[in-house]
Amino acid sequence: MPHVVANGVRLHVQRLGAEGPPVVLIHGLVVGSMATWYFGLAAKLAEHHRVLLYDLRGHGGSERTQTGYDVGTMAEDLSALLADSFDEPVIVAGYSYGALVALRFALDAPERVSKLALVEAPLPPSAHGEVMEFLSMPPEKQFGALSPAMRRSVSSGQRRARRLAALLQFHQSESSLVRDLQETPDVPDHELAALHVPTLCLYGQESPCRDVGDRLAAVLPNARLASMTGGHRLVQESPGDVTAVLLDFTRGDDG
Amino acid sequence: MTHADILATVDRMIREVMGEDYVYEDEITMATTFNADLELESIEMVQLAEKLQAHYGEGINFAAWMGQMELDEIINLTVGDLVEYVESCRTS
Repeated sequence: MPHVVANGVRLHVQRLGAEGPPVVLIHGLVVGSMATWYFGLAAKLAEHHRVLLYDLRGHGGSERTQTGYDVGTMAEDLSALLADSFDEPVIVAGYSYGALVALRFALDAPERVSKLALVEAPLPPSAHGEVMEFLSMPPEKQFGALSPAMRRSVSSGQRRARRLAALLQFHQSESSLVRDLQETPDVPDHELAALHVPTLCLYGQESPCRDVGDRLAAVLPNARLASMTGGHRLVQESPGDVTAVLLDFTRGDDG
Repeated sequence: MTHADILATVDRMIREVMGEDYVYEDEITMATTFNADLELESIEMVQLAEKLQAHYGEGINFAAWMGQMELDEIINLTVGDLVEYVESCRTS
């Protein structure tokens, strides 16, 4: 399978679509991978864009590094990957922690981002402790905290449950992910206010992160808020609706 | 290129993707399901798609094919569905 070494880490990548403005899609933590976007959304985007998907370090088919799960290091991974992939500004779209990586990259290199889509960005992540709570639960409780789809997936046999348990075990006790999450700082308003890239903030109306969307849309000078029925797991729960809103944004003349 | 040839190729690629964690005890047939029988993870479906595309060419658009399915179709997807899709791409 295709891999690229970026920022010293072996990342699993996938490219879809032959023409159009480039888009990179970034998934969320732990149970996320490029599969979050691959089935459904990515194929629709690829009708109008060159789409780059990758697995974050420690996820999916990418290298399981022990360290580097802070937003800054992951934004460096993205920077190196994009430098290797496109020689023009890119539409950067991220979900959950992936949205924080997208935001960090845009703040550090706004000239390399043509548009920014932040889906359910939990800012700062330490104030939205779902992942940390999840990782600190004993294994027998973790099952009950999974999304219904994920629960169905791991309960229909032994193999997926065993592999998920191994991944959780790795991030609980061998990787720095939990510590890196806790230490990822908030982005101060004055830094957000200086980012003029056209930005879409997409949130679920019942999401615990919903207030972050209000703040980002108010403070970022060129942002708009879109909300839809649903909670934090918008992309998995309503892929069709998320696709429609994202395509409207990537193809529209925002900005 | 017959069903049997494509099935043999898909069989080999499934085993490559699943690696040492391959657990299915029966022979892979057209009726074998990816979800209940093989217990493939969604990221492994993506990796299988990459292998198919590399082998059969860009005419195989797995992401678009699966993207238009309903959830229950994806859950019940069989190896035979995939073999027939590959064959339809090669004859159309």
